[in-house]
Amino acid sequence: MDRERLIRYLSLLVIGVAAVLPFVLEANLYLLNVLILMLIFIIFSSSWNLLAYSGQGSLGHAAFFGIGGYASTLIAVQSGLSPYVTIFLGGAIAAGIGVLIGLTCVRLKEWFLAMVTFGFAIIVQAITVSFLASLTGGWDGIASPRLVSSQVPGYILIEYYSILAITAGVILLIYLIFKSKIGMAFLAIRENEIEARVSGVDPVRYKLLAFAISAGLAGVAGALEIHYFGYITPEIYGIDISFWPIIYTILGGLGTIAGPVVGTVVLTILWDGLKVFGLTYERYIIIGAILILSVIFLPKGLVSLPDKIAGWWKRRQKKSPDAGT
Amino acid sequence: MGELEIFLQILFWGLYAGCIYILLATGLNLIFGVMKIVNFAHGEFLMVGAYVTATVFALTGLNPYVIILFSMVVLVAIGAAVERFCFRPILGTGKLNEIFLSLGLIYLFQNLAALIWTDKWQSIQSPYASISIPIGPLNVPLDYIIIIVVTAIILAGLHLFLKRSRTGRAMRATSQNRKGAMLVGIDVERMDVFSFSIGCALAAAAGTLWVVSGQVFNPYMGSIPAVKAFAIIILGGLGSIPGAIIGGLIYGVAENGAAFLLGGMWKDAVSFIILIVVLVVRPTGLFGESGE
Repeated sequence: MDRERLIRYLSLLVIGVAAVLPFVLEANLYLLNVLILMLIFIIFSSSWNLLAYSGQGSLGHAAFFGIGGYASTLIAVQSGLSPYVTIFLGGAIAAGIGVLIGLTCVRLKEWFLAMVTFGFAIIVQAITVSFLASLTGGWDGIASPRLVSSQVPGYILIEYYSILAITAGVILLIYLIFKSKIGMAFLAIRENEIEARVSGVDPVRYKLLAFAISAGLAGVAGALEIHYFGYITPEIYGIDISFWPIIYTILGGLGTIAGPVVGTVVLTILWDGLKVFGLTYERYIIIGAILILSVIFLPKGLVSLPDKIAGWWKRRQKKSPDAGT
Repeated sequence: MGELEIFLQILFWGLYAGCIYILLATGLNLIFGVMKIVNFAHGEFLMVGAYVTATVFALTGLNPYVIILFSMVVLVAIGAAVERFCFRPILGTGKLNEIFLSLGLIYLFQNLAALIWTDKWQSIQSPYASISIPIGPLNVPLDYIIIIVVTAIILAGLHLFLKRSRTGRAMRATSQNRKGAMLVGIDVERMDVFSFSIGCALAAAAGTLWVVSGQVFNPYMGSIPAVKAFAIIILGGLGSIPGAIIGGLIYGVAENGAAFLLGGMWKDAVSFIILIVVLVVRPTGLFGESGE
């Protein structure tokens, strides 16, 4: 209980820090850009984490990220609706396609599921540049309306706060899902599908639900990125885009709310921090080494670090002869 | 060119492309069989093998088909180190950790290679590049024929090793039942190192065959072939080596056919369409054991 309260205050503190950060940075454009992308990837990683929570590890989450981006852009361009509306429509379309993809995946496990989701990202990309080329502009991509028109003074700040609000909303939503019966059902399926069925949880329904929510949130993240950049190309379906949420989430701590957030923040700081030293390939080498070391020595992610340090501290105190005095 | 020639041409290219997939997929399958892990960074071993061969070739001018042996030995050493220091500590901690570790290895290897050899596209010229042999209506480059023969020799050697040698039999025992193998006194951790190293050596062979065929290469070349090799072993059934061979051939032919009929962007997509269709019908793959 005590711990729960601590976490609640901590998350409020984090949001507070995020809210005042632009003023501390004096609206430095480069850093604001880094922060905005960080927030978008927090949503994206959290959506991946939700699917993994139900026992389904996707290797092709870029498919939903990209579908959300394309759908939102096309709707905004064709109908003239504000991107503030279309990002959620894009998310809804990504969720719908997520259910369709989920239908082929519900019977599959582990590697099989990973490969099929990976394949879908590649297939969606091929469809985007061939059959839908007249709509999507093929490999060249198309322009996308900005979230806030660049004529509005301080538009980047408005965008930053909008995205911050959406991020906080998404994390709250995931928190509520994890706490609810749905979250319990996801856990039950992940741990043992047959036992879940015995206790009255229909695995297929819940797996599809997880796919829908996860794909929808990934679609919102993709739409946000696209409207922030102002253009979209099929590179949004790239393999690396599918890999980032996995890296962020597992580094932070798989299956926890804070994991994707911590992982994204830490890696983003590291990533842009190393850039200052003018490193290029070395940056990737350092990050690669960190990933390898972290999974060996900290398999539960960075969020388990405080417990680990506390445990180590306790053991040390017990061992030292003057303990207990 | 008539339609028959085009068809034969596609078939032959597919056979040649299939060789590289088969070597990668067989290696992955061997590792999966023994250790029950999948290394997504397997393509990086193909890449390192390609660069080792190209570098030795540039330095010494030896016949690249001889350098293949050197390249395989180098990769045996690298493979043993990666198995010992990266995969062994996380063995049995979950599939997602293996993917995560592989991603770390991918970044590490790709960028180390880019530091050493730059990330520009390179190519080397095989000594037989100008020779081609007429087979029926086709003019087949000699290199392609050698590549197919070399692949067949390597696979036959692997088959003999697994069936006849004591170590090979111990490896198969480990892959059938790890605990049982331990009980009869097999050092299963040693088998892990062996299978991982042999898998890496096969990837080095694939990388070498890639460069001698005159194809361009760069540090990022390995990712997509590795993922496809992985799709192949899932298509063929995890742990089944005949499945890997047939799957590799299917992919090689299907990809080249799709690139010709539908355009280059479908080359990668078609392999996954096949995979998804097969898995929807048969969730354990073509040759996988039915039921879980």
